[in-house]
Amino acid sequence: MLQDILQNIVSGASIGATYGLVGLGVVFLWLTISRINFANISSAMLGAYLFYSFYTQLNLGFFISFVLSIGVIALYGLGLRVFIYEPIRKRGGGRLEFVVATLMLCTFWLNLIIVVYGALPKPFPPVFGGSNDFISLGGIRIPSLYLNIYLVIAILMVFIYFILNKTLIGKSFRAAAQNREAAALMGIDVKVTTSLSFIMATVVVGIAGILLAPIYFVSLELGGGSIGVKGFASAVLGGLTNPYGTILGGISLGLLENFSTLYISSTYRDIISFSVLVAVLILKPSGIFNWKRKKI
Amino acid sequence: MKKLIFVVGAILLIVLFPIFTNNSYHLYLMNRALIHAILATGLVFLTGFAGQISLGQAGFYAIGAYTSAYFTVKLGMPITVGVIAGIVISVVAGFLLSIPSFKLKAFFLSLVTIAFGQIVWMLVINLTPITGGPSGFFGIPFYSVGNNMLSFGQVFWLFGGLLFVSVFIMYRIKHSHFGRAMLAMNDDDVATETCGISTKRLKMAAFGFSAGLAGLAGALYAHLAGFLSPEPFTFFESSNFVAMAVVGGLRHMSGGVVGGIGLTLLPEFLRFGGWENYYLMVTSIIVILIIIFVPMGLGPILESLFRKIFRLKRSNTKTL
Repeated sequence: MLQDILQNIVSGASIGATYGLVGLGVVFLWLTISRINFANISSAMLGAYLFYSFYTQLNLGFFISFVLSIGVIALYGLGLRVFIYEPIRKRGGGRLEFVVATLMLCTFWLNLIIVVYGALPKPFPPVFGGSNDFISLGGIRIPSLYLNIYLVIAILMVFIYFILNKTLIGKSFRAAAQNREAAALMGIDVKVTTSLSFIMATVVVGIAGILLAPIYFVSLELGGGSIGVKGFASAVLGGLTNPYGTILGGISLGLLENFSTLYISSTYRDIISFSVLVAVLILKPSGIFNWKRKKI
Repeated sequence: MKKLIFVVGAILLIVLFPIFTNNSYHLYLMNRALIHAILATGLVFLTGFAGQISLGQAGFYAIGAYTSAYFTVKLGMPITVGVIAGIVISVVAGFLLSIPSFKLKAFFLSLVTIAFGQIVWMLVINLTPITGGPSGFFGIPFYSVGNNMLSFGQVFWLFGGLLFVSVFIMYRIKHSHFGRAMLAMNDDDVATETCGISTKRLKMAAFGFSAGLAGLAGALYAHLAGFLSPEPFTFFESSNFVAMAVVGGLRHMSGGVVGGIGLTLLPEFLRFGGWENYYLMVTSIIVILIIIFVPMGLGPILESLFRKIFRLKRSNTKTL
């Protein structure tokens, strides 16, 4: 019994952490432009499919494929700003226009992937360890996939912490997030920080996509299923402004999911997590894991 | 006088449409377009006039469809009763969904509505005894008067009439004190409250009305298709509905009609030979382009076009 619980904690937390990564994409954009990109999860799907192309179809090796797919995703993030965000802003479109444009973008990517790769899921190469690799730890089996997910996310969090807190560009990013106009007056190039936030948002979600692909396969599920909504949910749990709280929110969501599967029913798993999302939004819209208490 | 000619001409054109074509697929498509127009009109009301947002409209659509199907097939009620039951239950769900909107705005509200839509969709899949689950709900009766089945053309008139009634109700609400209060709430919640207007009641009414129209659309769809499966009720349908409202024009009376009919027919126009694989892709690009370049929507543009053609004075149709 205790083993079951520990086993579920391990798997729930690792899947939840990737939800948290998806949520980070939402947070980075919200911090700088106060907009929500509803095509957020498309970056995950693109990341997974690009990696599949580079690794399996072109045989480029793990490292090169990873860097190349992340590079393309970063370019996509920049394109999102140049071709979607800026034109809408210039022509006086408000938040709703951005929302609908990104929703349509989400449909567009799904259909593009169907046209290019077909609708059938593709097996993901076992780069993070096969399904039978695991480490036994006091009776619990930890698949090496989950260990790799923890590792990548830990590296990523250290990296994000370092960029945000120890570099000049991170400082200007945080300044622009707190007050755009004042930051611009202080000589910070807000355009650069906006571009940076778009790139960071798409890249983080792209990495999440590559990490989720061994679990969900390289499939359309990554770009149109409920994972996107869970990403939003973890961002909300982190109050939309706190990157570390978002990861924690994602982890708790993953745990909630696994335990509702264990104790209640797997069919009602998603219904339970969405109900929790609604409850949090109604009762505490500033987020549960948001200890900074900044403006929403 | 010219306005009258224009209005009568437009109505005649719509009413006579079934006479011009015998192709039942075209007629079925136009019926779908009218259903979407009804639903998008509700969204225009909710978003454009009352300033709330709903990305879970497919949830109400599903509630309307499955309620009506359940009432007619499992309980053996006539279609009218089923449709009314669908509307009533949707309206109740709309009232419930309006409760979070008292506190939440914009993105947070849209998340609640997304969650609502997803929850309804999962219930549709999992509550197999009521909804039939993924394998579908069969044998929903088609529209009939007495023992005579209606033709697609007659159904078109029926739907057109219902669409006209919904737009007319919306028009009357907009020009009542209620509608003016709603527009004020759209501009500023707090200021409206200080004027002694209960924004809670307004929000409930707005959600209820748009949910009712979505429920009506769902019920009409159920009896038109005769078969329900979970596919038309996904999150992507909800986003399509919002896209219809935005493309048509959120602040315009005709927004829902223009957007609903336009976005239903657009993919079909793109579906000519050799392009079958790309039409959905191209549709989404066209919608993005419309949103970027015509943020106020196509409704106002069509209106000014008609004005130029018929040389109408602005003051005459200011209220349109």
